[in-house]
Amino acid sequence: MDKHVSLSVNDVCINYRILNNISVRKSFLRKKTKDEIFEAVKHVSFELEEGEILGIIGKNGSGKSTLLKCLAGVFSPNSGEVDLHGHSVSLMALGVGFKDALSGRENIILSGMLLGFSEAEINEKMDEIIDFAEIGSFIDKPVRTYSSGMHSKLAFAITAMLETDIMLVDEVLSVGDEKFKKKSMAKMKELISDDKRTVVIVSHSIETLKSFCDRVLWIHDGEMKMLGEPGKVLNEYIEFMK
Amino acid sequence: MPILNILMFIVSPIFAWIIHNYLTHGDMSGKRKVFFLGLYVVLMNALVFGVSYIRGVKGLSFADMTMSYKLKYIGLGCVLGFIVPFPICLLMEDKITVGGLKRYTKKFTGDFKRFIPYAIRSAKSDLNAEVRGSLLDWLWWMIEPLCTMLIYAVMFGLVFKASEDYFPAFIFIGITMWSFFSRSVSGAVNMVRANKHIITKVYMPKYILLLSKMFVNWFKMMVSFGVTVCLMIVLKVPFNISVIYFVPIMLALFMFTFGVGCIMMHYGVYVNDLSYITGIVLNMLMYLTGTFYNVEKRVPAPFGEILNQCNPVAFLIKSMRDSLLYGMAPNWGMLGIWCFISCILIALGAFTVYHNENAYVKVI
Repeated sequence: MDKHVSLSVNDVCINYRILNNISVRKSFLRKKTKDEIFEAVKHVSFELEEGEILGIIGKNGSGKSTLLKCLAGVFSPNSGEVDLHGHSVSLMALGVGFKDALSGRENIILSGMLLGFSEAEINEKMDEIIDFAEIGSFIDKPVRTYSSGMHSKLAFAITAMLETDIMLVDEVLSVGDEKFKKKSMAKMKELISDDKRTVVIVSHSIETLKSFCDRVLWIHDGEMKMLGEPGKVLNEYIEFMK
Repeated sequence: MPILNILMFIVSPIFAWIIHNYLTHGDMSGKRKVFFLGLYVVLMNALVFGVSYIRGVKGLSFADMTMSYKLKYIGLGCVLGFIVPFPICLLMEDKITVGGLKRYTKKFTGDFKRFIPYAIRSAKSDLNAEVRGSLLDWLWWMIEPLCTMLIYAVMFGLVFKASEDYFPAFIFIGITMWSFFSRSVSGAVNMVRANKHIITKVYMPKYILLLSKMFVNWFKMMVSFGVTVCLMIVLKVPFNISVIYFVPIMLALFMFTFGVGCIMMHYGVYVNDLSYITGIVLNMLMYLTGTFYNVEKRVPAPFGEILNQCNPVAFLIKSMRDSLLYGMAPNWGMLGIWCFISCILIALGAFTVYHNENAYVKVI
């Protein structure tokens, strides 16, 4: 059985040019300042097959979320390339972008359209999303009135229900109360068990990664430290962090 | 006026040089900058002098020149200064190439098609959210400009004794079109920052944000024009077929606003206090645009006409009044020129946004 590659990352580097915001007054006084360049991700490459689940681990600020955003296409890499082989992709992250003044329902439609779905497709899934998010009558109230829990539950529901080929999950598996957590874990397992779907999970939880992933990538200061079997990589990582 | 004499030869090269600098994204080295400044001083003066030589002015004697001539000379210099850097850049800098232009144009049309439903849907939602829960609902879109019109009509009609035929409608058209332009441009400055949450989560071309905002303002403007029609009926403005020129004029206004908005949006990301400056400049421009008076009549002789031709918003407002109220066709030549310049502005703005949007997400 031949495997299809669904996501390939080839020698990707991402720089943050620390270009401080300037004010007009400063720009008159300023001599030519040097731009500091901060390399957040350095020469990372890997390939994922359809249905594979990759975990990414690393200490804070090591470039995990930056890499994930790059995979989602929020910005493109400074060098190297990311090839999605024509698959649709969605990023599941805390504090998803909602328009504060709009109702939950409107926000579902708008987020969905940005993920590449048509309005009709979203309307079909609308009830499912609202059910899953458990926010009841608040769905027609402006998002600014939501509690932070409702906010993240809705965000999770949108990305979980509008299923894309590649899902990027950034630390969202601990959303909401115990009950919702269980539900989202179950939903996550269901999504992941689909052998067409490729998933990349960023997490600090060793447990989560151990139970879900086929492979684990360890990033340290932007560089690839290890890539391989979850058990082996995670043990090394625990050793290293001591 | 010795200062004006000097300005005649300096304004156009500096203008051209700034445009050139912009086209190369400010990455030119110091030496190159000096070289190009020199080049433009020679080139622009030769060109402008050449054009006026062909038009029949054989020599330069400052004593014979009228104020109006000098100002037109500078104006011509600025128009040429805007256009000339493009071919120069294509020839001398390898950053801007025909291939790149093609690639960007293709990307622009593709993205435009893909994201326009989002922009429209987002505008609809925003409009709904704006009026939901307020007592008078969407009536506000009519009441607000109507009240502004009343204030200006009373102030300028009764107190300053400014009067035109069909004065209320005259003012109303000016205010409606101006507020579309100024709201869109001042909104564009903070656009990327205001939508931080969305653009750090999912990709979209950033000018789509601007387009969506412009659709909102556009809709409000259309409501206002509905009121204008009622006003015209009340004032018994004779119906004339020239009202159909409404469409091309609106189109030109939209294009120009979009072009300017894109460029402002880009600088708004990097320059923190740009919104204050835009506020001041827009305020000044409002008075130079003749939203509530007739520029040609009120501003002393040469300036009024120049203002009307060099300020696109003033020109468009005047054309709109002519076609709706006085049954005259717009000046097609000028309209064409401004459409052309708008296209260049859109290309400049949209491609600048494309070139830099990677960095936006990291800066905000």
